[in-house]
Amino acid sequence: MPPKPAPATPVSTSAVQTLWRAYNDNTSDRLKFVDSFLVFLMLSGVIQFAYCVLVTTFPYNAFLSGFSSTVGQFVLTASLRSQVNPENKNEFKDVSPERAFADFALGSIVLHFFVFNFLG
Amino acid sequence: MLSFYTFILFFLSLSGLLHAKSSDGDSVLVVVEEAHKKDFTIFFDGLKEQGYDLTFRAPKDEKPVVVEHDVPAFSHIILFASESKNFAKDITPQSLVELLSGGTNLLIALSQKQTPLASLASEFSLILPPPGTPLVSFFPEREDPPSVIPIAAPASSLILSPGIAPVWFSGVAHALGNNPLLVPILNAPPESFAADSEGGADVLVDATEKGGEGLWAGSQLSVATGFQAVGGGRVTWVGGVDMFSDKFAKKEISKGVKSGNVEFGRDVAAWTFQESLVLRIDSTTHHLVNSTTPLEQYTTNDNIVYTAEISRFNPQTSTWQPYSGITDMQLEFTMLDPHIRTALPAVPGSPGKYSVTFRAPDRHGVFKFVINHKRKGWTHLHSSTTVAVVPPRHDGYPRFLSAAWPYYAGAISTSVGFFLFSAAWLAGESRESKKGKGGKAQ
Repeated sequence: MPPKPAPATPVSTSAVQTLWRAYNDNTSDRLKFVDSFLVFLMLSGVIQFAYCVLVTTFPYNAFLSGFSSTVGQFVLTASLRSQVNPENKNEFKDVSPERAFADFALGSIVLHFFVFNFLG
Repeated sequence: MLSFYTFILFFLSLSGLLHAKSSDGDSVLVVVEEAHKKDFTIFFDGLKEQGYDLTFRAPKDEKPVVVEHDVPAFSHIILFASESKNFAKDITPQSLVELLSGGTNLLIALSQKQTPLASLASEFSLILPPPGTPLVSFFPEREDPPSVIPIAAPASSLILSPGIAPVWFSGVAHALGNNPLLVPILNAPPESFAADSEGGADVLVDATEKGGEGLWAGSQLSVATGFQAVGGGRVTWVGGVDMFSDKFAKKEISKGVKSGNVEFGRDVAAWTFQESLVLRIDSTTHHLVNSTTPLEQYTTNDNIVYTAEISRFNPQTSTWQPYSGITDMQLEFTMLDPHIRTALPAVPGSPGKYSVTFRAPDRHGVFKFVINHKRKGWTHLHSSTTVAVVPPRHDGYPRFLSAAWPYYAGAISTSVGFFLFSAAWLAGESRESKKGKGGKAQ
């Protein structure tokens, strides 16, 4: 069978498109769902940081808690993603996906407890 | 009925006798040579009439003592023995300074001789000319010797009563140092100068050759000067004891015009013995706006009301009366430095009350409300109240600020997102496990 024409044809194929296609093809729905949550958190953090820089830092505790809630949630979610990713099974032999989710949920609840205390 | 009437009259006359008492006590020690005692009868009788209790003592007498059992025995001391070089051992410059700082008032006459009192005068920033040089003036033209000078009172004076006639003076003038506690009462005439009694105009010729050096002349010299000590005691230095004498009191300035020496003596004694220009702070309070209770601590940026009640002594009735006449009083709110210095104006309509509202600085620490009102001639007013200024409590800050809504929205959306994510995750897990079972079954 002759090789597929796709890689050979240079038409409109850039590295980004390749990456995107590879991501779409090789990532499970579950991880895509996690990634969409990560993107949401990142955007939220960027908006808050821009507001802080451009408009006001005045209730500084509110900025700190709002911004750190997105950052903290991002870190926790990223940890969850790496732990439930089947490709990392060898790294996390002792951590089942259920255990990873329980860690994530507990960590997030503690995080939000602090965030709302500090929000003012 | 008649006896009742005389009874009333008796009390009226008594109250007349007592009409002008000092705010500081009525006992006066007069140190005067026995031989000169009768020279000042008008002045002394005037004091007695006002209600003062005069005790006479010669300079070398041991009794009555000035300080008994470490307590000053008299409220006021008049030292008219201006030419005495030797005093009894309890009247020394040191003991006089000690009495003054303890609140005893002094009326001291100087002379052209070098006496212990003359050396004490220089401790009060009074600079005396060399001994033996009285003040002389050849103007206005008159029959009297040049060392007997009529001096017109200043146009406006706090201490001397307005419209007082010129006073006769004979004695020594002094220059004033730059001590802020000095209160000039009467300055020498501009044409006068210090010279020995025979020298006369020769002194002027000598001084002109030296370019004016060493000449004591002009209206910058003072013949009567007050000094108010930090503790409130007052001392008046008069250049010549003759100002209070009967001779000058009766001597006419010009035909038919009485001299002002009697009024001068009364005014100077009234100021020295703390009858006139005497103020005090009755009370000070502070509280929040819309409240009446004083707090021990205030929060930064609180609006604070500070109120002071001030009275002035009225010698006519011997009472303290509310006084609203101070226009330049200031309140300071200090922590090391004054963080706030603001006018403390009188409240219109409530006599004696001064009040100001101000916002506490945005700075926490131990602060003091300070009134520090020092004006020449008047009693110094000083009051200091310590309060703490603290930052707001943890729940004292404003909440739900509109500027913070993006942050609130961010935090809430993260939490909601987490909740939805968890729900979807769990739902997906159960579906997957079903799928997984199905897969195994296949």
